[in-house]
Amino acid sequence: MTQTAATPEPPAPEAPPAQPLLELRDVDVLYGRVQALRGVSLHVQSGEVVALIGSNGAGKTTTLRAISGLVRPARGEVLLEGQPIHALGAEVIARRGVAHAPEGRRLFSRMTVRENLEMGAFSRRDGSELRADYDRVYELFPRLRERSTQLAGSLSGGEQQMVAIGRALMARPRVLLLDEPSLGLAPILVDAIFEVIREINATGTTILLIEQNALLALDVARRAYVLETGSIALSGSAAELQQSEAVQRAYLGM
Amino acid sequence: MPEHVSGRLAGDVDLPTTATETRAQESSSVFWLLVIGGLMMLVGGWLLPWFVEPTANGIGASPMDVVASPPRGVGSLLVYLMGLSMLGLLAGAAYDAVSLRLRRGQPHRWARQRAVLAAVGMVCTVTVWYLIAKRREEPLFGELSPLALTDNAVWLTLTGFALCCLAYGFRRPIAARSGLTLAAVALVVGALVPLIFRQSIEFISWAAGAAAIYTLLALGLNVVVGFAGLLDLGYAAFFAIGAYTCGSLASSRHGDVLHIPFWPYPFWIILFLGAAVAALFGALLGAPTLRLRGDYLAIVTLGFGEIIPDAANNNAFGQTGGPNGITGIHHPSLFGHDFGIDPRPYYYALLVLIALIIVVLRNLERSRIGRAWVAVREDEVAASATGINTVSTKLLAFAIGAAVSGFAGAFYGAELGIVSPDDFQFAVSVTALSTVVLGGIGSITGAAVGGLLISFIIFWILPHAQEWSMTFGNTTGFTALSSVDYSKYVYVAYGVILVSIMLLRPAGLIPSRARKVELQAGGESEPLAAVRGRA
Amino acid sequence: MEGQGEVRAVLPPLARRRSLLRGGGLAELGSRAFPTVLIGALVLMIIDVAARSGVSVAGSQLVNGITKGAIFALIAVGYTMVYGIIELINFAHGDVFTLSAVYGKEIGRGLSWIGMSLWGVSLGSLATRGPLGLAAVLLVLFPLTMAATGITGVLIERVAYRRLRDAPRLAPLITAVGVSFILEGSMLVTQGSSNVRTDKEGWIRGTAFTAGGVDVHWADIFVVGMALLMMFALQAFIRSTRLGKAMRATAQDRDAALLSGVNINRTIAATFFIGSALAAAGGLIYSIFFDSVVWNLGFGFGIIAFTAAVLGGIGNIVGAGLGGFLIGLIYVFGGQITSGQWSNSIVFAMLIVVLTFRPVGLLGMRVPDRA
Repeated sequence: MTQTAATPEPPAPEAPPAQPLLELRDVDVLYGRVQALRGVSLHVQSGEVVALIGSNGAGKTTTLRAISGLVRPARGEVLLEGQPIHALGAEVIARRGVAHAPEGRRLFSRMTVRENLEMGAFSRRDGSELRADYDRVYELFPRLRERSTQLAGSLSGGEQQMVAIGRALMARPRVLLLDEPSLGLAPILVDAIFEVIREINATGTTILLIEQNALLALDVARRAYVLETGSIALSGSAAELQQSEAVQRAYLGM
Repeated sequence: MPEHVSGRLAGDVDLPTTATETRAQESSSVFWLLVIGGLMMLVGGWLLPWFVEPTANGIGASPMDVVASPPRGVGSLLVYLMGLSMLGLLAGAAYDAVSLRLRRGQPHRWARQRAVLAAVGMVCTVTVWYLIAKRREEPLFGELSPLALTDNAVWLTLTGFALCCLAYGFRRPIAARSGLTLAAVALVVGALVPLIFRQSIEFISWAAGAAAIYTLLALGLNVVVGFAGLLDLGYAAFFAIGAYTCGSLASSRHGDVLHIPFWPYPFWIILFLGAAVAALFGALLGAPTLRLRGDYLAIVTLGFGEIIPDAANNNAFGQTGGPNGITGIHHPSLFGHDFGIDPRPYYYALLVLIALIIVVLRNLERSRIGRAWVAVREDEVAASATGINTVSTKLLAFAIGAAVSGFAGAFYGAELGIVSPDDFQFAVSVTALSTVVLGGIGSITGAAVGGLLISFIIFWILPHAQEWSMTFGNTTGFTALSSVDYSKYVYVAYGVILVSIMLLRPAGLIPSRARKVELQAGGESEPLAAVRGRA
Repeated sequence: MEGQGEVRAVLPPLARRRSLLRGGGLAELGSRAFPTVLIGALVLMIIDVAARSGVSVAGSQLVNGITKGAIFALIAVGYTMVYGIIELINFAHGDVFTLSAVYGKEIGRGLSWIGMSLWGVSLGSLATRGPLGLAAVLLVLFPLTMAATGITGVLIERVAYRRLRDAPRLAPLITAVGVSFILEGSMLVTQGSSNVRTDKEGWIRGTAFTAGGVDVHWADIFVVGMALLMMFALQAFIRSTRLGKAMRATAQDRDAALLSGVNINRTIAATFFIGSALAAAGGLIYSIFFDSVVWNLGFGFGIIAFTAAVLGGIGNIVGAGLGGFLIGLIYVFGGQITSGQWSNSIVFAMLIVVLTFRPVGLLGMRVPDRA
């Protein structure tokens, strides 16, 4: 766990350097009159794994949706490398290098595995490097190579999750947003998926991860934010949060 | 879509939060209805003589002519006063509209003053009318005198003033009992229509009867589309079934079966038979198809709505008379009075029927069944999970809707004396749908008002548009305008109503509260709308 | 209780009834029985006509049915594409078809005017001069009309449907009915209430060959050939191009497509463009074949073509083509058997039966219900 987190130069977690890769400043999201996010600020440095933890309905998914443009913040800013992206359409944000593997996987179920991966690379035009990326995804998930001509809808839950992550990777993202990659998977698969997440990060991809299983999340992440009813209740390095009594009581079941 | 979420949901959904707020909204829509109706009548009455074709008495001048000519004594003064009261009321309404839009201010201030203004207008109108019509005080008005106002114009103006007076003068009592007020006003004005108008009474009564039939269709369709949330694109089929059933029972074709000595062709029994047969067909079509998803069901009803007139046209089972339809339908009679071809008795009978049906529907809406309809409409899976039999709930709506249109069909055939396949084409279904959409999906008041407005467009605006256009064309030199046939534009008008209402005001002119929430809150906020509804 | 509701929502009633009789897993059987019954009924109809009126009548009706079917198929493709991508029954599509015939007429007049003033040749005289002249005319007329109609389709989507994309399902269906009436009404106002000639008389004449006493005309071959060409081109386009892929992705999961960088608005607009352009091809073929249209032609044609789309499996382009030809045959033979009176009713009854008992059609996927 510490190997991956130690690779980038270690700045103090609460004093970010000049420009984080991804930053949310004071973001509010409204659904009708219901406020889903309230003044959420967070940042993700290049190369980090950052986890968002919190209970159901705390606003984790909404935070990711606000980053990738599926909902528009009513207030506040989302910055990618200092550039505001919150006013852009979701497809433009995707092209800027934010890949979102959404909640519930959302595969194109009537396309083959291969076609799903192709859709991940939809906005890329660099044909020559694509082949290498397919190989990389198949290396991470050898199972997908066997299944590549099968319809995505016919796969098992774990395989679908692999396709979802693989599809997001095919965009060569600068930031990868993962929404509950462990949801509904057998424990052994969960371990495998998190192993892959570590590998992906080790090759330099920045990851913002939502996970209900706080133990797992804090294990893989370098830093984490705890969301409660739409705002950030706690933040800090994974190690600090693991020690924090509040987190232990509420999320780690200790 | 992101733009959707931020653009519409965040801003425009004004969900009523408290009971008082919703009541205030409801009553203010009734208030606006009275005011706008009154003002339209005022303006219409004022302008009417311009547009009514000159009759034998040489009517053609208007109060405007009096105003335009130099003042001539007391008579002109009274007309001025009338005009001033009207302008005052119009200006007030315009001020309300602007202030509502600009700073969401308190609407309709100075209500008492406006009530007085309307009362003054009423007094002036009555005096002018009395002077002209009864005493023929020509010197008071100069040469224009006998031409200055038609009876129709007087009565329209007077009703308009009366409505404004009522709305402004009794704002609080109306707010307390909005439904009752509206019903009473509608009934009184409705009953007066054939009495108010003296000129072209035949046409107006006939048009009013047709409006009543449209209203009946809208009320029935509203049960299906509004209450149960099922889009029925073939509603005319049930109208046709009612009309054909009653037609064949009330003509020599099958009437002999029901022929009782001294009580020939008992229309009032046949009427219910027609409704029952229509309801039966509604259930027959609905039973296998109501499991379908909403849009598929709409198309199934559309297919059914095409098959029925096709069958009638092909003389199915030798019973429908083919393209000529059923002729020689006997007119109903009541207490020995034969309705004959006079449109007025039909109109009154329809008015009574509409009132009864509205009472029944209002009670249904608030009953257990009504709540089941709401549940099915909002979330069918959830409804069935709470133990509602969704199919029989929907079936009931279908059957009730069909029965109401069966009533309409019975009257339609009885008044015309003939039913033929051409009267039940898809356009009829779309007319009914436009009426419901215009008035407000799910709103009984809306269906009634929609029926009125649509008939106004069909029977008044489109036919007269030709005259106006001709006058305008001739005076301005655009002769092309003189030969436009506006009656052809009725299809475009329906289309524009359907599209623009759904885009701009999806809950219709008189929104039903529950539907307003459902229709505005789309996409992601749907569950939230439900939460708010419960809160 | 909950489970029961679930089953009721998912299974078509016929399959459910069967499975009550013979045990589970028989939805499959329904899917095999349905095409068998359908084709069987069609064959019986053909045999009936052949027995009663002779083989040559049956043969010429067969040609007639396939020709009509080709036009239905072209319209059905538009329904199926739009339904596939935004789950909207684009009620106005049939009227877009009629509109394209009117466009074709007006564009043809414009081209004739240009031709007359520049070279003294009208469109009609060039088209009837020989195969080369005809090809030249069609190569100009088809793209222009298809583009104009396609743009109309895009405008309709932009104005009447886009804002309602996330509204409850019935709202855009109601505006679609409204758009249909606006289109029909405008054609009634501008073209009048009776049949209008489209100035394409005699463009394609003559008999290509005679087989078993049945004359097959060049016009029949043209209609069917054009329809097949268009549909194969479309299928190839959807399968292999970037835009085609974007369309399929949008149809399957709009949010996921958005996250993959697909511009949803542009993709949906393109779908409307292609669907309307194909309807325009149908409209032109129709006007070359019959040389007359009437303002409300698209209403009936629209429902028939929609039936074809449903029969083939809504959302499935190959299915729409197949459904078109089948419905064409059923329409023609049903009409022949009932001496021309009931052909519409037969198709509408089929629509009801298919929607009720086998809403996924012949080749369709089960569409998840989110009504």
